[in-house]
Amino acid sequence: MELTRPWKVIGHALLTLASLAVLVPMALVVLAAFKPHNEIFSSVPWPQNPTWGNFVALFRDMPFGQYLWNTAGTTVLRVGGQIVIAILTAYGFARWQFRGRDVAFALVLGAMMIPHQLTMIPIYIMMGNLGWFDSWTALIVPNLAMPFAVFLLRQHFLAFPPELYDAAEMDGAGHWRALWLVVVPNLGPALSALVVVLFIDCWNEYFWPLLVTDSDHARTLQVGIRQYLQEEMADAYGPLMAGVTLVSLPALAVFFAFQRRVMDTFVSSGLKG
Amino acid sequence: MTPSGRARPSIAWAYLAPILVLMAVFTYWPFIHTLYLSFVSWNLNPGQPTKWVGLANYEGVAGSPLFAAAARNTLIYIAAGIPLKVLLPIPLAVAVWSFGAGGHVYRTILFLPTLLSFVVVAVAWSWLLSPLGGYMQQFLGLFGLGMPNLLADPDWAIWVVLGLSSWKILGFNMLLYLAGLASINRHYIEAMRLDGAGDWAVLRHLIWPLLTPTTFFVLVSTVVFTIQQVFTPIDVMTQGGPSNATTNLFYMVYQYTFLTFNVGYGAAGTVLLFVLLLFVTLVKVGLLDRHVQYKQ
Repeated sequence: MELTRPWKVIGHALLTLASLAVLVPMALVVLAAFKPHNEIFSSVPWPQNPTWGNFVALFRDMPFGQYLWNTAGTTVLRVGGQIVIAILTAYGFARWQFRGRDVAFALVLGAMMIPHQLTMIPIYIMMGNLGWFDSWTALIVPNLAMPFAVFLLRQHFLAFPPELYDAAEMDGAGHWRALWLVVVPNLGPALSALVVVLFIDCWNEYFWPLLVTDSDHARTLQVGIRQYLQEEMADAYGPLMAGVTLVSLPALAVFFAFQRRVMDTFVSSGLKG
Repeated sequence: MTPSGRARPSIAWAYLAPILVLMAVFTYWPFIHTLYLSFVSWNLNPGQPTKWVGLANYEGVAGSPLFAAAARNTLIYIAAGIPLKVLLPIPLAVAVWSFGAGGHVYRTILFLPTLLSFVVVAVAWSWLLSPLGGYMQQFLGLFGLGMPNLLADPDWAIWVVLGLSSWKILGFNMLLYLAGLASINRHYIEAMRLDGAGDWAVLRHLIWPLLTPTTFFVLVSTVVFTIQQVFTPIDVMTQGGPSNATTNLFYMVYQYTFLTFNVGYGAAGTVLLFVLLLFVTLVKVGLLDRHVQYKQ
């Protein structure tokens, strides 16, 4: 809708203010990441002698490399598992009519009403009993079922012409091969956007890793950064800001690679980082 | 080979098996287990026996000062967050929408905080606001002003957490409104224009009423967000303090269970939280259905 001039001016003014409110703190943090130690307590927002020193300190003073490995490894495995399981489930629901289907679907959707804050105590106890505490397994396995992903994929599957399945089976492909050779390749951008959203959700997760990790063995970046803040605070502003900058890069990078679709998928996911 | 849509049910169930097993073990069973734990006394030590105490945990939680503070703060987080989290995004979204392609830059910029983790946001703001040489202190120093220790002040700390969570969710909610705006039929606007309606009339009498369902949806999903996600900035910045000024119901559960090892209280608090969330979620699902229908 085209607005008249005074409204346009007000609109731009509002949006500019809001954008500045978002960008200025982010810029201050990134700039501080490049400040040498003797400039960190200066009111000049940019570094006069930019340095990579804070990033080096990060890997030297804390097991940042180990945290990075734990976060990247568990994220890849977990998102991979989430996607495969969601694809199988959505296919099972969309492909066949069978008794009990609606009940099963209701159970999957019902799980959306039970966020894992409500199940954390028993799962925590379970991790202890299984001997999974402080391991990648504890970070990955309890979080593999993603009802919203099933919901989203099922809608795409339902939009598929059933003739496509028949054609694939006529060519001698069973339902299993039809899924991976015909259906999944045709999901294209919807699937990549879903992967990005799940990736960001997992990469940024704090609460569960905080509960089930208690050593560097499995600790993730988000928990590590928080702990570093508690231990060092004013002594390590530079490395801390370098840390939050580095930690944020992967999520920002995948977002900019798939921008528009990711925003749409985020909106329908109910996940908000 | 089976015709499309018909198969031996066993095949379909095989596809569903992984998620059903996972949900049974990691969603539904723990949920029931939580109910059980809310009736026993236990200290999280596997060697320690549990003792059935009936409703004592619920009475204990409901009567505790921590619960009073957490419930009050949860209300503040929800109610006081509405202007910034639910209302402010409306004019922003309308402006972005009216600019068409020219508004995309704003949309992307305002969405950035959604991509950052809450830990990152909280750590960054801890530095910006720190009275121990944080950036705001340096900046205010230029004008001879001092930086108060906001996070240590019981009257201020909750507003800091609230401001930061608003900062984080603003762009996301704006996107929800944009989705609502995109579904408005342009012919209505043109018709009003032909009748000589000005910008204000269109905004007031057409856009605003048509955005009402979206507004409710944003409100409810923001309440869920506030109950669930504000845990992280609380834990990073204040650990619920000073003197319980920033704790909320979810953080209270964490405090009871994992900091003071009173599992029964924690589980009872979880059940209370569930009742609250269930209510909000049911409203949300109802709205989501309508929301989807509006789009089609």
